[in-house]
This record gives sequence, structure tokens and C-alpha cells, in this order.
Amino acid sequence: MKKILLVDDEAALTRIIRLNLEQTGRFEVREENRGVNAVRVAREFMPDLIFLDVMMPDKGGDEIAAELDEDPELRNIKYVFLTAIVTKSETGAGAAEISGKTFLAKPVKRDELMAVIDALIGDGIGD
Amino acid sequence: MSEDKKPFGGYAMPAILLVDDVAANLRVLYESLNGRNYKLLIANGGKQALEVVHKSHPDLVLLDIMMPDMDGFEVCRRLKQDPETAHIVVIFLSALDDTTDKLRGFQLGAVDYVTKPFHPEEVAARVETHCKLLSLERELARRNRQLELVRDRILNSMTEGVVGLDRNGRASFVNPAAERILGADARQILARELPDWEPEMLREAIGRILAEPGEIDHNEISLSNLALPMPDGGTRQAELRIAPICENERPRGAVLVLRDLSERHRVEARLNRTNNELNKSHRELRQAQMQLIQAAKLESVGRLAAGVAHEVKNPLAIVQLGLDYLEAALATDPVASEVRRDMLTAVSRADTVVRGLLDFSRERALELRSHAINDIVNESLKLVRHELTQRNIAVDAALAEDLPKRQFDADKLQQVFLNLFMNAMHAMQHDGRLRVTTNLTQIDGDELGPHARQCGFLGGDTVIRVVIEDSGPGIKPEDLDRLFDPYFTTKRQGEGTGLGLSVTRNIVTLHQGSIDLENRNRGGARAVLLFRKDEKQRDEA
Repeated sequence: MKKILLVDDEAALTRIIRLNLEQTGRFEVREENRGVNAVRVAREFMPDLIFLDVMMPDKGGDEIAAELDEDPELRNIKYVFLTAIVTKSETGAGAAEISGKTFLAKPVKRDELMAVIDALIGDGIGD
Repeated sequence: MSEDKKPFGGYAMPAILLVDDVAANLRVLYESLNGRNYKLLIANGGKQALEVVHKSHPDLVLLDIMMPDMDGFEVCRRLKQDPETAHIVVIFLSALDDTTDKLRGFQLGAVDYVTKPFHPEEVAARVETHCKLLSLERELARRNRQLELVRDRILNSMTEGVVGLDRNGRASFVNPAAERILGADARQILARELPDWEPEMLREAIGRILAEPGEIDHNEISLSNLALPMPDGGTRQAELRIAPICENERPRGAVLVLRDLSERHRVEARLNRTNNELNKSHRELRQAQMQLIQAAKLESVGRLAAGVAHEVKNPLAIVQLGLDYLEAALATDPVASEVRRDMLTAVSRADTVVRGLLDFSRERALELRSHAINDIVNESLKLVRHELTQRNIAVDAALAEDLPKRQFDADKLQQVFLNLFMNAMHAMQHDGRLRVTTNLTQIDGDELGPHARQCGFLGGDTVIRVVIEDSGPGIKPEDLDRLFDPYFTTKRQGEGTGLGLSVTRNIVTLHQGSIDLENRNRGGARAVLLFRKDEKQRDEA
């Protein structure tokens, strides 16, 4: 099973994303609601993909991403920014690449989540 | 001028010539007048008198009558005949005490007559009186000349034409403005007799003014729209007033005052133009001020919007994903499924509003690449073509082929065109014509809308122009000023956020372009977008 880490300060949001992903029966999902814990949890959990909220009160998604990129053990982990600031007219339907990073605009639909997961880490059925 | 200061010819004191063939008489005269502040000259005969006059220009001559070479009458006659000397005051001195002789003397132009034997005091008194008179006369003449100068200066500087007429209707003076307005020089005008005045209406008016009192009212006559014949055969419109100059209630002449209406019309037109320009710059100033206020409002709205968007989008995401999650659980219950679908629609609508806010406030950077604007227009048209067809709206695209490529953010600009097309479509509803024109043009100053002016476009600039016209009902005049205000919308609640046009203008402005909306003369609305031909153009300007 592919492992997915959800980092967002909104616990209700990480919970509902987890429920949606688990409903498919294809993923093992971990939630983290504090930005400062994200890198440590990533190191423990070693997910295939991280959904990163950009704006969090204690530590921003962009900062977490930069640390992941610099860490030799973690740099291969794929991540997708989940953000309220990028709008759908910019991302269009589904994910958008902005400066080489993948963005999903909130409010995200389940189908969009699935599409970006499939695009980045395969169909996940193999594991 | 220095001559004017000295009342007596070239001297500060009067010069008096004493003429007598008898030396003893000359001595008596000399002694009577010597020491009284006169310059005294002497001649012992008529011929010598004339010589001295021509050499020394005396002011006054005391002239003996009976002289052997030329008598005093002859001397006086010659003096009065010569314009150079005619002004010289002549007083005869003679033993002749005959009324006919005295009369003859006065007829010849003498001012006084003193009979011999004379009392020196009497001679001195008479001379003094005449010198005083002379001095007053000359002062009067000098003042008169000054007054004439002032009068001429006034008359010459007047824009009204002034013509003085004598009692026969003959012109006695003319100022330069009158020459211009009448289309004739002073000489020609001064030669006019009453019957020469044209047109008849003017001739008749002059005749009436100069007519004897009692017959008609002697008030001023005004002719408000007179067609004066010009030498070239045309006419000039003029306004005219004729006022009588009366003496003892009898007309002695008249004054014509002429005003060139063509000139006044020109001045009025110029004033109007200046006034319009002032009004325009006032309007522009007010507009610029509004834009500034607007910009300040946008700033705060932007910050607010970003905050609101963030706060609303998370809950929306939770609801959205929650509903997605419940899909399977509710699948067996058709009513619950329907409720779920309604809820999804509601989320989507709320998202649209928030997105509008965010679009409006979002980061103002463009992703510029070289594009042909026609491609962007065509791409945008493609996106609405289906809906246009459904609404039976014809598209008429006249896109110039010679447009230069330029740096554009194609996505943003597409958003602009889409927005404008959608607005046009909503305005027309069903059936109509959407016309899109692009061209490269040197724009006329009159064609610049307020936003174009505010963005620094000038008449004569070469611009890429995109015009989008619809055949809808047009824009209500009261809405024109507010169209670009954020949150202003003419659509029903729920149909539009009122952010479309302000976002549109922001994007266009970021491209160093302008967008103005106006009503077409023949109905419908028109959006005019101007872009500078090349980014560099602005820096060079």
C-alpha cells in the first residue's frame, strides 16, 4: 500500500481527506496538524506522497518542502501543495505546476486528489 | 516736445519784431518793451521786416503802416498768405486814425491797432495781453494735440470700428478697426457721401439719425445683424450702433460704432473651446482622484480577500470532501443523494464567489511571453462559441493580420476576453451580433476614453486596438462610471460577483493597456482595449 502523509493545521480537513483515501482501500494514511512536526513524522513514516498545506501558523508548507528537498533521505518523497491562495482559474481543473511544484487548490474534490496521486505515484495497486 | 515746453517758438520768451522806418519811433517802442521779458527784434522797413520774420520767426509783429519801401498792409498780407508765417500775431501801429484803415488792418488779419502818438504803457499793455493770449492759444493747441493723440490711441486700439459722420453723412474720421470691418481704407471711407453707404438699411439709418429733430426720435439706432458688402463681393456680418451728435438739440453729425460679428463668433468659439478643455481636465482630474481612491480601496479589499479566501476555503474543502466521502453511503437513498448533490452545488457556488475575490486580490505578476493577440482572441472565442451558437448570437471577427507580436500573459488576457464576451452575451441574452475587431492604428486624441487617457495614451500613439461590440441594450448612463468598481454588478444576485470588470481592468493595466466601456451610437455596448505596440515604446516616450 502507498503511504500518504497529510500535513494541514485543520484537523477536520486532514481527517476527511484520510477517510476518503482509506475508503479506496489503497492507501495507508497519516495525519499531522502541526507544521513543525511534519519533517520528523515524514522521516518516521517515510510516505510516498505528502499533501502539504502552504499556510500554517507555526511552519509553512514551503518551508517544510525546502527541508525535504535538502534532506538526502527525504528528497525523493513527492509532495503536493494544498492551498487556498492559488485559485482554480490558475490551476484549472486538477493540479497545476507552478515553478516545478504541484499545487492543488482548495476546496479540492476527491477525484482531483485521486488524479494527482495517480499521476505522481502510479496507481498504487501494485503495493 | 521741447518746443511744446517753450510756449514761444524756440524761445522761452515771446519774440517781438518792431517795424518802423523812423529810427526815433523804433527807439521809443524798444524802450517801452525792453526789460519786460521779451526778445526784441528790429526792422526799419517792410522788406527788412519780411527778412527778419523768415530768419527769426517772431511771435508778434508791431507793424508800422506807412513805410516807403513796402507798407505795413502789404507786409501783413504777405505774412498771412504764407502758411509758415500766417500764425504770427500782427498789431498795426500808425498815425492814421481812420476807421477804414483800421478795418482794412483787421481784415488783413491783424489782431489790434495802436494809433500814434502812443503811450509806451499802452503799447506794453496791449503787447502783453496779446502775448498772454498767444501763450494760452498755444497751450490750448498743445493740449488739443495731446487729446487727439489719446483719442487716436483709443480709437486705434478699439476692436470696434468707429466712424465719425458730419451732418451731411460724410465721414470725418475713421479708426483702423472700421477700415478692417468695412473692408475699405480710410481714404475711401472719408470720401463717402451719404448715398455711398451700403447696405440700404445702414444708409437709411444714418439718414434718420441726421434728419431734423421733431420729425423722428433721436435716440441711438442699433442694427443687430447687418450684412456689410465687401470689396470681394461677399458680405461680413456686423453689429452697428449709430448715435447722433447733437448741439442745441439739432444733429451735428453722428458716430457709427461697428462690431465684427464674425470676429465675435470666432472669439466665442475659442472661449467655448477653452472652457470645454477646462471642463475636460477638471473631469479628468476628478477621475484620476477617483482612481486613486479606487486603488486604495483595492489594496484593502485585496488584503481582506486573501484572508477571507483562506478562512472560507478550508471549511469548503472539508464540506466538499465530506460529501465526496458520503457518496457511497448515501448511494442507496435517492433523496439523500439528491440532498448531497444540492450541497455540492452550494459548495461550488460559494467557491466561485471566493475565487472571484481571490482573482481580484491575487499577486499582480504576469507570465509574459511573445504572443499574437489574435491567437488569444480566437482561443477565447472558441471557449464561448458553443454558448453563442445556442443563444443564436452571430460572431463577426475582423482581425487584422499585420499585428505585431507582443509580450502578453495569454491566460490572463484570455480571462479578460472571456469576461467581456460573457458580459456581451449576458447583455444580449438571445439573438444578436458580437463583433470583435483588432487592428494596429495611430489613434486619434478624440477616440481616447478616460481610462486610456489616465494610462497615458496620447493622440497620435500607435496602438494595438481590440474592440468588442454587442447589439444588446447598452449600458445605462448612470452605470457607466461604476462599471469598473469592485462588487458593482448589474446582474441579478447570484449571477455575478461584480468583480469581473475590475479584475479585467487590473489585468489590462498590468499589460500597460487600457480598457474603456462606452455605448455605441447605434445601440449596444462597446469595449475598447488599447495596448502599446511594444513594451519598449513606453520607455522611449
